[in-house]
Amino acid sequence: MIAIQHDDVDIGKLITNAKQRGMGAIVVFDGIVRDDDIREMELEAYQEVALKELEQIAADATKKYNLFSVDIIHRIGRLKVGENILIIIVGAGHRKEAYEGSRYIIETIKAGVPIWKKELRKDGDRWVPGEHPQGTGKFN
Amino acid sequence: MRHHEEENEEETMKVKVRFFAQFGELLGTDIIVEPVSGTVLSGLIKEIAQRNKDGYNAIFDEKDTFREFVILMRNGKRVDTIDAVTTKVADDDEIAVFPPVAGG
Repeated sequence: MIAIQHDDVDIGKLITNAKQRGMGAIVVFDGIVRDDDIREMELEAYQEVALKELEQIAADATKKYNLFSVDIIHRIGRLKVGENILIIIVGAGHRKEAYEGSRYIIETIKAGVPIWKKELRKDGDRWVPGEHPQGTGKFN
Repeated sequence: MRHHEEENEEETMKVKVRFFAQFGELLGTDIIVEPVSGTVLSGLIKEIAQRNKDGYNAIFDEKDTFREFVILMRNGKRVDTIDAVTTKVADDDEIAVFPPVAGG
């Protein structure tokens, strides 16, 4: 499942669905809203493009790390502290590929997928600056 | 031989310009414009951005060139801001303008 959506997901169910013959490891990455003195976080995406890019990242990771399954769910809209933002579930034959595939996916998302976060703070709102100021991600 | 109509420089098109994150707050999110044939990407964005001083200054510097962090897309593919001065827009194009991404 590759999706950009408002709703949360049942991570346990995704893990159960990911399991298949020959799989020896599943790595779950769950990015959550941190309590950085904020009230809420608002996420915005260039949805059509971001979804295509997530699908491409999943395909590239599958090929590069010989993965059995990849799920990526990126949430948008208003999220409270502690809520899930991004869930990545990677299944592989062995832990090495599962960990490396998961890491590749999160870093590639952060480098280039058009999604933005705004912190709704007690002292005013603030757009979170990107980690790649030149925007020179994978999808140039 | 080309038809005469194809050479008509005054022919208008429909182009959608989308601004995201802080740019969207300042300039609006989805703007439909009808530029004349031959309009380049940078000129189109400049014209729209001039509707709001803060929006313009968020995207362009004092020399009226794109700030180095601005990202442009045309129909889902990135366009270098240097190439935006020569890239002509076409009918039905979707142009996106946004700051560095911060997802994940």
